[in-house]
Amino acid sequence: MNHLRCLLGIAVFCSLSTAAFAQDTTERLNALENAIKSQTKTIEEQQKTIEGLKEEINKQTVQEPQQKSQEESSLSAKVSGFFGGSVLTNPNISLLLDTFYHESNLKNDELETRGIPGYTTSGVEQRNGFNLRAAELFLFAPVDPFFNLYANLPITEDGIELEEAFAVTTSLPEGFQVKGGKFKSNFSRLDAQHPHQWDFFDIALPYRAFLGDEGLGGEKGVQLTWLPALPFYTQFGAEVLQGENALLFGADARSGPHVFSFFAKSSFEPTENSTLLFGPSVLFGKTRNSNIVSDAEFDGNSALYGLEAVWKWKPSKQQGLILQSEYLYLTQHGNLTDLTTATVDSLRRHQDGLYLQGIYQWYRWRFGARYDMLELFADTFKRAGVQQDLGETPWRATASIEFNPSEFTRIRLQYNHDRSGRDGRSNDEGNPAVHIRDRRPRGTYVLAATSHLSANCVGSSSASSTYLGYVSEPPSSPPCYHLKSDVAYRRKTHAKNSSRVISDINGFKPRLCQAQRSRHAPLDRQPGEGDR
Amino acid sequence: MVEAKPSMILAGRKADIIMYNGLDLEIGYLPLILESGKNPKIVPGKPGNCDCSHFVKAIEKFGAVDRSMGDVHPLGNPHYHYSPANILRVAEGMTNTLADLDRANADYYRANFRSFAERLKERQKKWSTIPLKGKKFVAYHKLFEYLAREFGFQLVGYVEAKPGIPPSAGHVQSLIESMKANKPDGIITTSFYGKKESESISAKTGVKLIILPGDVGGMKGTDDWFSFMDMVLTSLQ
Repeated sequence: MNHLRCLLGIAVFCSLSTAAFAQDTTERLNALENAIKSQTKTIEEQQKTIEGLKEEINKQTVQEPQQKSQEESSLSAKVSGFFGGSVLTNPNISLLLDTFYHESNLKNDELETRGIPGYTTSGVEQRNGFNLRAAELFLFAPVDPFFNLYANLPITEDGIELEEAFAVTTSLPEGFQVKGGKFKSNFSRLDAQHPHQWDFFDIALPYRAFLGDEGLGGEKGVQLTWLPALPFYTQFGAEVLQGENALLFGADARSGPHVFSFFAKSSFEPTENSTLLFGPSVLFGKTRNSNIVSDAEFDGNSALYGLEAVWKWKPSKQQGLILQSEYLYLTQHGNLTDLTTATVDSLRRHQDGLYLQGIYQWYRWRFGARYDMLELFADTFKRAGVQQDLGETPWRATASIEFNPSEFTRIRLQYNHDRSGRDGRSNDEGNPAVHIRDRRPRGTYVLAATSHLSANCVGSSSASSTYLGYVSEPPSSPPCYHLKSDVAYRRKTHAKNSSRVISDINGFKPRLCQAQRSRHAPLDRQPGEGDR
Repeated sequence: MVEAKPSMILAGRKADIIMYNGLDLEIGYLPLILESGKNPKIVPGKPGNCDCSHFVKAIEKFGAVDRSMGDVHPLGNPHYHYSPANILRVAEGMTNTLADLDRANADYYRANFRSFAERLKERQKKWSTIPLKGKKFVAYHKLFEYLAREFGFQLVGYVEAKPGIPPSAGHVQSLIESMKANKPDGIITTSFYGKKESESISAKTGVKLIILPGDVGGMKGTDDWFSFMDMVLTSLQ
């Protein structure tokens, strides 16, 4: 009986618990189902959120590259050097074309032979009609953290000339800087400028008289400048130069460098809107050339002392005034060898020159005036101890009007009244000059090969000069070719050192004038050079 | 046109650090100052040469440019001194440059920057109340593009047809016609450039002439950047 009751009890218990279990299970299953459902829901929602986030990320990554590239490109300007933009690919290149129309009351052969008696036998460069002075190619680039490199190559109808090619240091301490190569001397402001930077078409008369139409010109050598940290701007400079300038020095004066210069420039600002720059200079060395006196070679020593002053007033963008003046004083002594008679005389010169120029700027116009004069205080020209009477005092007056359509172009009209020929005749020149050039300081910024045109029109009438005792050429003889300088000739004959190519155009064979021909006979005897 | 005066070259010579606007704004004279200054500390690439435009988000960068387009700035509009957002970036960049170069005083520079940033934030609140959004102005020269972007107004015409080139009579005439028709809210220029031409256009069209300072110190009462921007924004109202 107990057994049975036990079994029954167990059975009941089992069935009860199964039922309970069954009830539990269902509940639990339901609970599980619900849980799964809610979890699925949660997963779906989370999925949506993830999708949403993904989209946002995509959007941001699209924007970010844009921003990044903008930042990158402004950061890439870091490698920008002096003029902005990248200088890792190309140097800065600029081209200037300097061409002009010239009108003179003198004929071309008279222009060619019009020197300044007692100073130079070189005629003026211009000819009546259309002229091409040069197409100047200018290149600049920093080479490395220590040097900048410059080159200036005027291209003329005679060929390409290397006027300047030099390196400048950028890392020396204490304000020192070295320039080496071939460069225009910085002994004066005017001499360092290229023709297209001048305020007038031609160089000041004292420069033409002592140094030639382009001043000292590019000279091979080395320059040291020093800018100490003083209260006022003062720069000191010294140069050692080869000395190839054909009027004041000469390549043959000595083998090796034979010209030295020292200069100092100081500047201060008298008022808020004005600046004054001034300073002395000296240029001295050995001289040997045939360009001072016709048919005679001079051999001796020269020293050219200079004093310059520039005053600039610029109260606003719309107007300004620049006054500039220089005084040059030459002492020269040596021997003059007559090329026809072979007589040797001593020559002693103490001569001076002055120019004073002013440019007034008003909006886009500039009005210029210049007065040049030689022999203010010193006019000694003693040949064989005898003072020569060279004629009237050479002087010249110039007026010009300029219009600058933009800061990169210039249209100039210049008028010269030139009485430097010492023959009693005056040279009245009027030139409409279109001078379109870049006015940026050296280191013209160029992007995508911009080029600028410089057309210069200067009218100059020049009186032919016939100096008593030094007749350059009988008027009746046919036009002949005067070598511009001894140097040019030497470059022609010494081909491998030649930095100037003189080519023959249209079969015209340059014929030397009589006086020079006897001196430079080898030109005819070198057929291998062809027309050079 | 600004020229490099010897006094600027001397200042470059003596400087430990040179900070400049960049984007070719000083291209007419800065290269000469940097080379003739003979100071190795300030040449490009050295920490003493700080081109502030590196910190700027420049606008209006051109691809191919040449001079026939006028005096354009290919690296971007350089007149970001009218842009508070960019000036803040420049201030931060200057701070980092100074702190790197003069580590002893780094904290001093950073503290100054923080106070500058706070002052700027406050001023921004004041400036945002000035109602400039949606206004239309004609400008003489392309100086105000950053200002237009940040304060929500539009520059609908320029007196200069090409930057840096004075306008031809024909262009001025057609501008006057369109200004009479569309009546912009003002013609803006600076006191040192374009004032006369803008005065005459304003007289002919009846559009209000607004003269803004060209730069800090350009007009009386603009001796620091905050007062400069105050004057700029209140003049535009």
